[in-house]
Amino acid sequence: MIATIVETKELWQTVAAAAVAGIGVTFLFSLGIWGSGQFLELSRSDRQVAATAAGIVGLLAFAAVAAAVIIGILVMTQK
Amino acid sequence: MDSDLILVIVVATALAFDFTNGFHDTANVVATSISTGAARPQVAIGFAALLNFVGAFISISVAATVAKDVVDAEVITPTIVFAGLIGAIAWNLITWYFGLPSSSSHALIGGVVGSAVAAVGFDAVIAEGLVGKVLIPAVVAPILAFLVAGIAIGISYRVVGKQRPGIVSRGYRYGQIVSGGLLALAHGTNDAQKTMGVITLALIAGGKLSADADPPTWVIASAAVAIALGTYSGGWRIIKTTGTKIIKMDAAQGFSAQGAGAAVILASTHFGFPLSTTHVINGGIMGSGAAKRLSAVRWGVAGNIFVAWLLTLPAAAAIGALTYGFTRIFGTGALGPVLVTLMALSLIVAAFARRAREGAPVTAAGG
Repeated sequence: MIATIVETKELWQTVAAAAVAGIGVTFLFSLGIWGSGQFLELSRSDRQVAATAAGIVGLLAFAAVAAAVIIGILVMTQK
Repeated sequence: MDSDLILVIVVATALAFDFTNGFHDTANVVATSISTGAARPQVAIGFAALLNFVGAFISISVAATVAKDVVDAEVITPTIVFAGLIGAIAWNLITWYFGLPSSSSHALIGGVVGSAVAAVGFDAVIAEGLVGKVLIPAVVAPILAFLVAGIAIGISYRVVGKQRPGIVSRGYRYGQIVSGGLLALAHGTNDAQKTMGVITLALIAGGKLSADADPPTWVIASAAVAIALGTYSGGWRIIKTTGTKIIKMDAAQGFSAQGAGAAVILASTHFGFPLSTTHVINGGIMGSGAAKRLSAVRWGVAGNIFVAWLLTLPAAAAIGALTYGFTRIFGTGALGPVLVTLMALSLIVAAFARRAREGAPVTAAGG
């Protein structure tokens, strides 16, 4: 009875989308901060290769956050 | 002539409700950014108002749910919608006066359901829509926000745990400009649509729109303006904020709470679930606090939110039903709604005047 009333599929999709977006974006942003922090630390200790790698990881993570936000808004506007 | 006058009153009342919704919810939307130092109050409030305005334009799924899936538009009249709005406004006013945190959204839906039942009986209520699209999501969404924020902050601390605190705090504060903006956008899109839905329902009931019509552009635009103005105005009365009332948080917690809240509200909005944005935001805040330390959350405040949440639907429904009964004493014309509007305005002025004398209340009701 309840299963027929509750829009189970849409509810699960909401739960999945919110979990992936909420946790995923926070993880990626944290990775961006980690990359930036490591870049600064490693640059100070003259480990340029490692610093560049960490910086790239950070930049990619921030870019992924920006992409996720833009995609999210585009999806919202298309229904 | 009478029906047109009632429609004008309904639209004006709905927009007033939308304004108060933004007014009440400013604290919820900007508190986290302000309390962590991510943004100055003036900037946070202006930004939130702008994004609430923009958010109102990005979807109409929730408006469709409110207009078509909660009560049967075929048997509803503009007076029923009006009585429901008065039920919602009255409950918001009561909870604001006593400093109880409650949901404007639940009050709105409760008010409309209550007046519809009083006017037509339980046949007017679409049980599937009410349970499946309102009540179940109302329970799931705050819990989801709590869990998402809790997991997110746990992961964040693991990822950045060994970094210098300065760069971490600065990073998350910058991040909060984005997460706070998304939260304001999410708030605007879910909450403004409830007003659009109610106005659309009244227009359908008044024979101005067909039963399957979407909200007209002027309805969307006016709801957007009302919630944005309300958000902007509400910011100037914030004394204590939701963020600091429930938990003292750092920038990482603020980011994860706002991110979780925005994700839950935007995902729900996409599927047409009209949520209490207040409860979702508070769920996120509590989740990010509880993940760090359970005792960091002021569970007493959380308990008040829960009690107000339980009371809101039935209380607003009862007031909506009583208001409908009162308007019918004066027949089916515009006299009843006009008298009720005058009485409501008098009560609002009296409540504000008394509150001003006693001191400003803590933020109360919300989306």
